[in-house]
Amino acid sequence: MSEKYPINLWVNEERYEKLQKAGLAAMCQEMLAGLKCIQVYCNEAQKDKILKVFPTAKFDSATTKSIELLPRQVKDKIFDLVVQKQSIDIMDEFLKSC
Amino acid sequence: MAEIGHGGKEIKERILEPAEAKKRIQGLKQYPIRSQLANEVIGIAYGFFSPLEGFMGKADVEAVCKKMRLKDGKTVWSIPIVFDMSNEEIAQYGVKPGASIVLTYTGNPMALFEIEEVYEYDKKSLAKDVYGTDEAKHPGCARTYAYKDKFVGGKITLVNRPKINEPFTPYFLPPLQLRKIFKEKGWKRIVAHQTRNVPHTGHEWLMKGAWFQTYGELPMDKPYVGVLVNAIIGEKRKGDYIDEAIILTQDELRKSGYFGDHNHLTSLTFWDMRYAGPREAVFHAALRTNLGLTHHMFGRDHAGVGTYYGPYDAHRLLESLQGEINIVPVYSENWLYCPHCGEITSESLCNHKKEWQKFSGTLIRSIVQDGVKPPRLIFRPEVFDLVLECAEKYGFGSPFVDEEYLKKRTPVFVMPPLA
Ligand SMILES: [Zn+2]
Repeated sequence: MSEKYPINLWVNEERYEKLQKAGLAAMCQEMLAGLKCIQVYCNEAQKDKILKVFPTAKFDSATTKSIELLPRQVKDKIFDLVVQKQSIDIMDEFLKSC
Repeated sequence: MAEIGHGGKEIKERILEPAEAKKRIQGLKQYPIRSQLANEVIGIAYGFFSPLEGFMGKADVEAVCKKMRLKDGKTVWSIPIVFDMSNEEIAQYGVKPGASIVLTYTGNPMALFEIEEVYEYDKKSLAKDVYGTDEAKHPGCARTYAYKDKFVGGKITLVNRPKINEPFTPYFLPPLQLRKIFKEKGWKRIVAHQTRNVPHTGHEWLMKGAWFQTYGELPMDKPYVGVLVNAIIGEKRKGDYIDEAIILTQDELRKSGYFGDHNHLTSLTFWDMRYAGPREAVFHAALRTNLGLTHHMFGRDHAGVGTYYGPYDAHRLLESLQGEINIVPVYSENWLYCPHCGEITSESLCNHKKEWQKFSGTLIRSIVQDGVKPPRLIFRPEVFDLVLECAEKYGFGSPFVDEEYLKKRTPVFVMPPLA
């Protein structure tokens, strides 16, 4: 299986409600002292494209192996797409719009 | 009573009274300097860099590079403090031994520079000695290679006091002032926390752990030990937390009661980080000795960058200098959240290894960036709110440094016109 690189979408109460409605609440995991997070995954090519399109983003190779520090609006957009598609498999669709 | 600083020398501020200053700079050529040099002028004049009295001559630079000592062969010093000029500038400003010029910053006179020496130094060899590499992608090497043709050595005396802008004003506490405050507080031991971060609870516990380590055998009848958060304020890189957020949130830990006046104080030092790892750690030790501190926290890969230094290189170098530096190193370990313990704990305390949730700086920043409030065990709500407030007030909407911040921010200090 090829590598998967997560983007962490942090989930507060408001986001949690939206995820519940979309039937995705069970996909949330607890990352830090109960702070919830839902992950969408990129493959190698998608990861490279994200890092290229959003130069502030950083691949945290040391600790979490995740893609971090995407601008807030970008993360909001990804989250909205997750809720809209009721799926976390949305990166292809998201990247089409970049 | 004399205040003794690093190297056993008395700390003396090198600052002229206004009337005297006016006389001394009359007719001298005025040379504008960039922020790095202005930061270092302050470091020299207020005694942060004691026993240095000016920018280094060649013998000092050579001794620092080759032996990690000043030219006296005794005083430990790890990073060259040099003043660079181009050949054209040297000719234009009549820079030669015996001459003096006035250094200006933000358009006004800052310091008298009494020139003793103009010399060349091989930058590649300097980089190799100080940074252990000559790769241009190491930020310290890059800074070295950006120096102009020649170095100028000589004594520095401030002719004018800088105006520290808000919100930094209360945090500019030079060595003599800081030492007075420590006496008033009755602290017998003070431990330095070097930072360029907004604190999460992992950082908070680093400080608390260091406080315990420092307290040692002292009695508990009165508070005898303080933590000094000494924030390094200097050149910013994109993606760093903005300076305002760093200094204010560090102090917020005291204001919101996670610490108190009896054991916590925040101040700043102007310094452009060299990321020299072990050598930078030694420099920090000298600097904090001058601030009047007795202990200094050193974490893993202190002041390192990339993979240039091993996690414990700085600790080993400090060990090898015991007896020569007058500050006790306090080595800190990694703090983390353990869901089993339900608390912040450390790698050497808790044994629920499989359950550990480690702090990653990047992860915390990503949470802050998303504006999602983390649990108070991870990030204090007062600190979180203040970060967002700072983003609005000082960061043009972001708590992290970006192009706009670099262009438009209010400078931390300016030189006012000579009174
Ligand atoms: Zn535990």
